[in-house]
Amino acid sequence: MKLRLSHYLLLVIALGLVGSVFAAPRIGEPAPDFSVVDTQGQVHSLSDFAGQRVILEWTNHDCPFVVKHYSAGNMQDQQRLARDEHDAVWLTVISSRPGEQGHVSPQQADELTASRNAYPTAVLLDEDGDMGRDYDARVTPHMYIIDPDGILRYMGGIDSNPSRHSEDIPEATQYVVAALDDLAAGREVAQAITRPYGCTVKY
Amino acid sequence: MAQVRRALIVLLALVPIVAIGSVPEIGPVQRDHIEVELVAEQRSVEPGGSVRVGLRMLPDQDWHTYWVNPGDSGLPIRLEWTAPTGTSISDVRWPYPDRLPIGHLVNFGYEGEHVLPVTVEVPADLVPGQTFVLDLYADWLVCRVECIPGDADLRLELPIGAAEPAPEPATRELFAWADARRPEIVDWPARFNAEGGRLSVQVETPRTLPTDGWAFFPAAENLVDHAGDTFITIADGLVQVSQPLSTYFTGAPAVLPFVLVHADSATALSFEAAPGDLASTAAPVPAAAAPNLGLILLMALAGGVLLNLMPCVFPVLSVKALSLASGGGGDQRAHGLAYTAGVVVSFAALAGILLALRAGGESLGWGFQLQSPWFVGLLAYLFFAMGLGLSGVYAFGTRWMGVGENLSRHSGLRGSFFTGVLACVVASPCTAPFMGTALGVAIFLPWPQAISVFLMLGLGLALPMLALSFWPGLGRRLPTPGPWMDTFRQAMAFPLYLAAVWLLWVLARQTDANGLAMVLAGMVALAFALWLAGRPDRGQTLATARHVGVAMSLLFALAALGSAARMEQAPATGEASWWEPWSPERLQEVIDDPERAVLVNMTADWCVTCLVNERVALDTAVVRTTLADRGIVYLKGDWTRRDPAITDYLARFDRNGVPLYVVYPRDGGPPRVLPQVLTPGLVVQALESL
Repeated sequence: MKLRLSHYLLLVIALGLVGSVFAAPRIGEPAPDFSVVDTQGQVHSLSDFAGQRVILEWTNHDCPFVVKHYSAGNMQDQQRLARDEHDAVWLTVISSRPGEQGHVSPQQADELTASRNAYPTAVLLDEDGDMGRDYDARVTPHMYIIDPDGILRYMGGIDSNPSRHSEDIPEATQYVVAALDDLAAGREVAQAITRPYGCTVKY
Repeated sequence: MAQVRRALIVLLALVPIVAIGSVPEIGPVQRDHIEVELVAEQRSVEPGGSVRVGLRMLPDQDWHTYWVNPGDSGLPIRLEWTAPTGTSISDVRWPYPDRLPIGHLVNFGYEGEHVLPVTVEVPADLVPGQTFVLDLYADWLVCRVECIPGDADLRLELPIGAAEPAPEPATRELFAWADARRPEIVDWPARFNAEGGRLSVQVETPRTLPTDGWAFFPAAENLVDHAGDTFITIADGLVQVSQPLSTYFTGAPAVLPFVLVHADSATALSFEAAPGDLASTAAPVPAAAAPNLGLILLMALAGGVLLNLMPCVFPVLSVKALSLASGGGGDQRAHGLAYTAGVVVSFAALAGILLALRAGGESLGWGFQLQSPWFVGLLAYLFFAMGLGLSGVYAFGTRWMGVGENLSRHSGLRGSFFTGVLACVVASPCTAPFMGTALGVAIFLPWPQAISVFLMLGLGLALPMLALSFWPGLGRRLPTPGPWMDTFRQAMAFPLYLAAVWLLWVLARQTDANGLAMVLAGMVALAFALWLAGRPDRGQTLATARHVGVAMSLLFALAALGSAARMEQAPATGEASWWEPWSPERLQEVIDDPERAVLVNMTADWCVTCLVNERVALDTAVVRTTLADRGIVYLKGDWTRRDPAITDYLARFDRNGVPLYVVYPRDGGPPRVLPQVLTPGLVVQALESL
């Protein structure tokens, strides 16, 4: 199994590429910055929200797991809790490529917000998927919490039960709520990394 | 996953179907993008018998469902069985999955028609003629790029018969598919750990396995980054797997079930690995020097006795012996003891000088290491020169002998003492095989033992004379000095030549054919210089020319050795130059140097993991190039024999075994431990981060 030098170089180059794709963010380190347009045509960057806690929610309205949390009102409740009780910024991010499931026009996105009674600060349209890849967002819903200093404090699933049945929500641990409580109390986030479950993001 | 497993074994009465359930459906059921059905391998069941039952799944073209570990996304299926009291249902015997890349993620699952089989033990009290009813609630995720969850309540009805059940032809191929993909469960020792950001798995295999073309399927979720580079090495009875940990890794499982698949040879093996260090297959050899010390001392004593027969010693000895034989009683004993004291003190002084040199060298960071071609080359030169001396190419030490003889002519105890000193001095040119060995041993032994070796050697040299002083009669039995002494001396040259050959072999391994040729040429120059130096003087001019010739030849010999040593330092041709032996002092020195980063490798000859890692990762062109380009010092510690310094170092990292790989950044930041299974890419990445 003797590999030649050129093979190793290729391997190393390949690893480099994989490495850049998988430059996953780390808990306790600065969250990746972004610059993405919202449904109103306004560009948002992480630095715009310095001094405020930011919650990122990756979504795809046709994904059954997203539907699970919106149809039961769980996602909307958490948006209200975060913005009203914790004075946080809630950014809903859509990274679906044009033509793929979940991709919407700005108007459709606003209609979805209205029809579902959702309460995000803004809905970001990450059509080229750059922001999603920078955050290594894998599924919808995939959740992140960034503290006022720009440090990543939580990444993972919306809750602890990877089922598609909204009846299971009350018994599951709502990770984002728990993390916000921890942060508000000045504690370390008890579960800062959890398994995100849902539909693969359609980059 | 635990809930799933718990749900798999159900010993229940025929309770009404689970809350969500509707009426269970018999036969194929169509859901979004998938058809599912509860099927059996046989057409009926016997009371007390068993039957293989499975969930048949037929996703649409390009759609898939998931294995027990779905991979980077996806969900494992959830199964809830309902069966008559006394029925026992096994876990799913998971057929090994396919690797399904989806974008930048990798999932483990199945495309096309497949079955998830279980074994059902039927109660013995069933009544033939009735029907055995088995219900299954299944909740799954079927995906292409998008995913659609689905569920179904399924029922299987099998007639209960007293006769041997007939196979069901319709499902024969389906179960045959499951059998072909059923991994063989083996209980080979397997371990894993999640050190250094990667999952490392090691299996000791008693079987000869193909070395290429394996796929690794860990059955634990959230453990590895499934799309990350998987590195599988099979060598020396060891299977090693390395894969980056998942971003969502939070802790190692209590046990790691995993499957290795070699599709070409239709081999699939199922393992359970326990957490822990990737232990080596043997324990370190305890320090061997201590038990051998007695033998070494005995040999030193024998060597000392043998030295008496050396032509440069024997004449002195016989003169003294004769004078002793003519003297009287107690006085002779005092002379004998004085002589012994002279010899032993001389040897002790020699040992002291040597150890002082050694200590000085070590404090300068110059260890006596057989790894240094300089050291090996000089030893080869020394042995060769000593051999030439014994062969009679030159005579050396004759002038010293004169000095000594003047002293030893003094009568009295003082004379005897200096005869002892003289014996040492004159012995030095022909100490040959014994002194060489003693020198070698003294260089590596701790100092009290090194001193003992020299003292024993001295005692051995003095022993015959001491015996004569106590029993003067023995003197008459001594052989008279004569030509036999010369023959003996010349014969003793040959072991020295052999020792030189061994050293040259070592040197050739450290450098190459060119380096060896240079050193051999240097030896010729050395021989020339010694021969020339031994020629008698014939006039002033000639003498000057001779001295110049000797000096030039010696210079050439040294230059040749130097150039050979440099060849060793060129990484392209060298074998061992790109690493240095580890020592705590050297490590500290490099850590303190802000220009240099360090890679530490603690290894041992009996540690197969270590050797495999070196072969596949550390000893590769790409790693060597990275080390050289970035000026990273590579220190290798050998724990083949227990070395307390290395044991302490391992303990600092809470380890009591090798391998241990540690990197230290340039800026003096904290060291980082690398995984126990290495890949070239991993090592290069770690080095580039320093």
